[in-house]
Amino acid sequence: MKRLFVKTSIGAVGLVTLLLVPLQGCTDLSETPISSITPSNFFHTEREVTAALAGVYAGLRNTAGEGEYWGVSEVSTDEMVVPTRGSDWFDNGTWLELHRQTWSANSPSTLSFLNNAWNTAYAGIARANVLVTALGGVTVNNQAQLEGEARYLRAFYYYLLLDLFGGVPIATTTEIKRWPRQTRDSTFKFIEGELLAIRSNLPTSYGAANVGRVTRSAVDALLANMYLNARVYKSEGPGAGGINATGYNSCSGMTVGGGLGACQAAINRVDSIIASGVYQLADTFTQNFSSDNGSSPENIFVIKYADADGLGFNMVMRTLHYNQFNPSPWNGFATLAQTYNAFDPADKRRNMFLVGPQVNLETGLPAQDRAHNPLVFTTTIANVTSATEGEGARIYKWPIDPKHVAQNNGNDFAWFRLAEMYLIKAEALNEITPGSAGALDTLNRVRARTAPVAAALAGPITRDLILNERLFELNSEGKRRQDLIRHGKYTLAWEFKTGPTGDFRVLMPIPQTQIDANPLITQNPGY
Amino acid sequence: MALVRRLVLALVACLFWAAPLGAQAATGAITGKVVDASTQQPLANVEVALAATPHRELSRSDGSFAINGVPAGTYRLRASRIGYGSQIQEVTVTAGGTTTAQVSLAPAAAILEPVVVTGYGTQRREAITGSVSTVSAAAANVGVVTNVDQMIQARAAGVEVTRNNGEPGAGMQILVRGGSSISNTNEPLYVIDGVPIYNQPTEPPSYGVGGTPPLPRNPLNLLNPSDIQSITVLKDASATAIYGSRAANGVILVETKKAAVSGGPTIEYDSYVAASSPAKRLDLVTAGEYRTFVTAQVGSWRADSTGFSTRHPPTDTIFTKHFADSSNAFAGLVPSHLTALGTANTDWADAISRTAVTHNHDLSFAGGSEDTRYRASLNYMKQQGVTISNGLERIQGRLSATHKALDNRMRLGVNVTTSRVNNQYIVFENRGGFEGGVFQNAAVYNPTQPVTVTDALGTHYYEVPGSQSLRNPVALANQITDLGQTTRTLANGTAEIDLVPGLTGQVTVGLDYAGGGRQIYFPNANPLGGTLGGGLARVYSQDNNTKTVQTLLTFRRQVGESHSFDMVGGYEYSEFKKTLAMGQGIGYVTDVTLYNSLGSGNTLKDSSYGELSKLVSFLSRANYGFKDRFFVTGVLRYDGSSKFAEGHKWALFPGLSASWHLTQGGVVRGPFSDLRLRVGWGRQGNPGIKPYTSLQKLEGGSNASYPWSDVPQPGVIPTSVANPDLKWEQTNQYDVGVDFGLFGQRLAGSVEYYVKNTSDLLLEVPVPPPQPAATRIENVGKLRNRGVELSLDALLVSRPGMTWRTGLVFAVERNKVLDLGPHQFIRSGIVSGQGQSDQWAERIMPGFALGTFYGPVFLDVDPVTGFQVFACTAATAGCLNGRTTTRGVPDAADYHVIGNANPDFTIGLHNQLNWGKFNISFLLRASVGQDVFNNTALVYSTKSNALQDKNFLRPALSDNTDVHEPAIFSSRFVERASFLRLQNLTVEYALDLPFLTNSARSARLYMAADNLFVLTGYSGLDPEVSSLNASDATDAGLAARGIDYLTYPRPRTFTGGLRVSF
Repeated sequence: MKRLFVKTSIGAVGLVTLLLVPLQGCTDLSETPISSITPSNFFHTEREVTAALAGVYAGLRNTAGEGEYWGVSEVSTDEMVVPTRGSDWFDNGTWLELHRQTWSANSPSTLSFLNNAWNTAYAGIARANVLVTALGGVTVNNQAQLEGEARYLRAFYYYLLLDLFGGVPIATTTEIKRWPRQTRDSTFKFIEGELLAIRSNLPTSYGAANVGRVTRSAVDALLANMYLNARVYKSEGPGAGGINATGYNSCSGMTVGGGLGACQAAINRVDSIIASGVYQLADTFTQNFSSDNGSSPENIFVIKYADADGLGFNMVMRTLHYNQFNPSPWNGFATLAQTYNAFDPADKRRNMFLVGPQVNLETGLPAQDRAHNPLVFTTTIANVTSATEGEGARIYKWPIDPKHVAQNNGNDFAWFRLAEMYLIKAEALNEITPGSAGALDTLNRVRARTAPVAAALAGPITRDLILNERLFELNSEGKRRQDLIRHGKYTLAWEFKTGPTGDFRVLMPIPQTQIDANPLITQNPGY
Repeated sequence: MALVRRLVLALVACLFWAAPLGAQAATGAITGKVVDASTQQPLANVEVALAATPHRELSRSDGSFAINGVPAGTYRLRASRIGYGSQIQEVTVTAGGTTTAQVSLAPAAAILEPVVVTGYGTQRREAITGSVSTVSAAAANVGVVTNVDQMIQARAAGVEVTRNNGEPGAGMQILVRGGSSISNTNEPLYVIDGVPIYNQPTEPPSYGVGGTPPLPRNPLNLLNPSDIQSITVLKDASATAIYGSRAANGVILVETKKAAVSGGPTIEYDSYVAASSPAKRLDLVTAGEYRTFVTAQVGSWRADSTGFSTRHPPTDTIFTKHFADSSNAFAGLVPSHLTALGTANTDWADAISRTAVTHNHDLSFAGGSEDTRYRASLNYMKQQGVTISNGLERIQGRLSATHKALDNRMRLGVNVTTSRVNNQYIVFENRGGFEGGVFQNAAVYNPTQPVTVTDALGTHYYEVPGSQSLRNPVALANQITDLGQTTRTLANGTAEIDLVPGLTGQVTVGLDYAGGGRQIYFPNANPLGGTLGGGLARVYSQDNNTKTVQTLLTFRRQVGESHSFDMVGGYEYSEFKKTLAMGQGIGYVTDVTLYNSLGSGNTLKDSSYGELSKLVSFLSRANYGFKDRFFVTGVLRYDGSSKFAEGHKWALFPGLSASWHLTQGGVVRGPFSDLRLRVGWGRQGNPGIKPYTSLQKLEGGSNASYPWSDVPQPGVIPTSVANPDLKWEQTNQYDVGVDFGLFGQRLAGSVEYYVKNTSDLLLEVPVPPPQPAATRIENVGKLRNRGVELSLDALLVSRPGMTWRTGLVFAVERNKVLDLGPHQFIRSGIVSGQGQSDQWAERIMPGFALGTFYGPVFLDVDPVTGFQVFACTAATAGCLNGRTTTRGVPDAADYHVIGNANPDFTIGLHNQLNWGKFNISFLLRASVGQDVFNNTALVYSTKSNALQDKNFLRPALSDNTDVHEPAIFSSRFVERASFLRLQNLTVEYALDLPFLTNSARSARLYMAADNLFVLTGYSGLDPEVSSLNASDATDAGLAARGIDYLTYPRPRTFTGGLRVSF
């Protein structure tokens, strides 16, 4: 009995010990990721801060995507259409819905493309907020400039939202909460105020190692663009939100920061860019778009792309035929015959389109379509709901990069280049003094490069002349929707679209999913 | 933590108050013999126990038993054996005397173990108060069974098991009482020999081509089904609450075979060979039909081309100039499609199929002394897929040993399983887009072209010249290397010690280590390899590592005649760690080195990843029984998981249940031999989210970097949104059940009704801006599952020389989303295929079931235009009389609910007939009333494929849809998919050959057929489709059910085998 008792006691003690050892040691459940970082163990050095800044820049790549701000600003206009080719590009009817302007807050193109555009812009804003917040608690070299770049990019993302949706919720901290929607005027003023506040922190240009970062002129370019569109961006009212959907929305009569007239303010910004001496029109039009366009003297604010995995531009994938490039492109985006035909055949800028017999753009050998016919692009599209492989002129403004890595091409995409600045100045001058000769001269600067793209126009200058010049010069650069709205022509009829589609469409619907996530957001009128 | 401390104290106090102080008395013995009541043959392995005492013995092979050292007194002697109704009789033992008891057991309808593993211990079947289904491993291990999941299929009511596809060793989707989660995992918890395992994929992912990679194979492939002793499924919350946080989707307890309890050493050998072929193949247009079709379409083109000038204005000079080459815009097909026609006749679905051979060898031996016993087994299995160039090979060894020490007061046990699984994969699509893998190309590749051609370069695979998205499927399967292996060791050691009579302490340490590898090479020889950059190689290495420590105190005590207590309390700690490393090279001069020389590639890339999570639990269960008449079970578990937000890591999971045996004490008589009522309630959790979900993470990578001056600058971006309120998803479940036995247990069964309310759903929802990621996981919404389950077992025939048992399981399950917080709906079930971007087949909406199809309503095809016509209202442009008149879909406002992927009910029927030397069993499964979206038909039964010289499915030939009409998702492709399947038929014959039986104890020969037939109206390959369509099985994604897209065909298999034991 005694022996048994001893054994039992030893057993019991051993067991209780075993029970208690893990109890003490293993109730700690705090979590630290082992292969990613958290804000609390980051942002200590300039290198870390610069990496976070690169992340804010990286968000720009998405803005020029096909189902993003760029796609929405192009396919919803007369510059571009994505025909259904057999089953290809039907995609739940999204592309034709976008082109025909039949979207609603809950329709497929809104839930896809507008939702992407919204999320992309806000993701960029959130990245900037994380960085700007962190900069509040750390001191590094170049702090003011780094913060200035982050705030510029944040302002640019807000600008994209303002352009598509009107006033939006504004937040400058990392707090996750439901922020109410701001008016368009206060959104405009927020962006303008931010830009003016950080302008002097930015350099006028960078050394060879940092080309592509935000300069003082990038601030001026964004402001010039906003001032030209001031009536669209700042108006309030019922219906189309105070925007004149069927007539021109002039910068004349609008007052912006510093009490200046908006037209004059736009001119001042353009003049300031020119006076900086950093930028000039490229000798040739194509220099702005080629794969080595990083050296173009004309591009003021660009998305830098590189021929590396995940860092490249894939515009050629959207437009080229399956057999024109490797990897196989998607044979989607084309321009309208009416738009192609609007170009003067003598205008060199029309060469941005591919029409007629085609070659494989890498090998230069004649290309065939899938039925083994010679591949020919036509300007017309007989039936947009059952187009063939070769129908529609293709956009080839950004040629392939010989050093491309898969679909990643190194061509930079310019959101602002000097040519647009001249066109902004011309338009603003024409609003101050309609028919002004100075306006015509300014416009003609764009046509008269070292290698002129077209003969100078004789005038007289009109609003339509300026709008057309923007069509020729800035085609496919994501500006068309903005331009058509300013000129009161966005809801009109064009090929494959009956119009007018309703004044309210100058503001995009806020995707229902976003209203679900934040019920404080009110929908735009008409949706 | 104060709560925990109090809990533990209370538990310990509770366990000791009833500590007994037994007195020794003079003893006697009981001897006797057990026989089968119908055959009068002796019965071995019958457990003979004296109720309320620790005395229990097993009958020997001649049916005899002896229980010695029994204190004098009157006892209830209970004899029970699997497959027989238990029997109780009173015996009186006198001091120094030997009492004789003759026991005769009647065969019962159900083959049930008398003792059930219920988690952290076992319980007598009678004492169970929750909803528990047991599956006899012996009955379920028939035909070609590669893993545990297959053994449960149609054998437990309310457990829906669906194989992802027909790939060898394919993963399984298991829903216990319907899925209770939307974006969280719905997989049950697996517990092997008492140790919960993290059932994560053990192999690194594949490289997806033109779509997402195929789903990973089943991590449970490591277990050899022949090593499994029993499977228990805990279904309701009162039964599963002991597993608390991980139990919301049910718990599957797997017990492996242990050393033989009695008898001498045994050796068993089991071997089978099986031949499989696809049960059904894609019904493709044949080469001859394709030629006829193209020729006829070219005829339409020629007729239409005369109207050319009216459609194209002469101003279009470019067009006019190249009219001869480019005018594709007419009806029908351009004449040049004729030149794409070859002279071969290839059935591509046939070309990628084969008759596959499987062989399997099991050898096990067991033995030992009274104190130390062992069982060892070895398994080798090699299974070919019914599609070429893929298969599975498993080599597995297992050792289990037990040792009794200190006069059987201490028991030690060790189980070690080590397996190596070698998987060979082919490139196929789980969900796809523009390009695809083997199955997509088999569906669309031109049937008039040959598999191989011989020319000046020799014999090689035919490829369409210049084509960059159409690829010879045979070449894809044969030329691309995709290998995966898992070496996994599951080990656990247990020490159990009786502290004082009735009180047992137990410590278990479990280790689960899985090393997974993957090697992929896309050669230059294949055009896909060329497109990816001139040869692409990837090598992965993955480690999954789980450590578990369990300490348990178990207390069993009978107080007087009436009161029995059974309590367990304990602590469990587990830690799961996963690391993954990948290296990739692109651009190889030669294919000779495959993936073995990454460094010689042109561009290299690598990455690594790691995660760690912990789960800490305090658990207790108390079962009280009154006179074997009333039982009450209470469960309390307190779980802490590292995955949740600070301050929300801990949660309490209670359960309470009771049962009342109406047949005990004579409340009910008549035909009822057994009648029990059960009620239960409990709360469970679901922590199936990834670690670090509550934190804001910053990550680098190409998404974050940005080139200044064309030099990529490493960047860092926030990739997730913190959620400081992230907590457990909780399910409250109520269960009412009746268990009954009639006519002396010749008919037995149970009926159950349950309601499961899940709240605080871990749902991936949009975050209010500004947000670095569009969504985060939040606790939003409510879901309800309700259902009725019926299981019935009958002993139809029982006479000497013949017994026939039949069992039926029947389940009805209804689920409904009750609340989605602020969200009106969430899209799910993305549609695959060319031209289907941004198309979703399902919506999760309050008031509707998960798996509700939503889209345009198809009416018919306009015979004049060939357009598909959809129902519409005036709001849609061009809507006339409720019909669309233009090509395309109506406005989004005209979309409706067009189907429900959930069955009305499911049935499983299994039969076992023993007749002389024959043993015949078969299993039928049926599922009725569910809809399946035939995504394959949507994309591949559209004639517009011919515009790109692609083939299509044959039914399209006979409908009048225009050749230019796109594939449009609509109710047209949502089909009723009820089915009845003969899952398995096995005939076994006992050999009585003298030369064999002289040395062998038994030798049995068997033949089996799996998936012999399916009766269904569904037009696709198989009506049974995976319930989840997730791109990544580690993240279950949103609940999408019933979508059929180019699945790997399911095999029909014939097996012949031999089982010998010595």
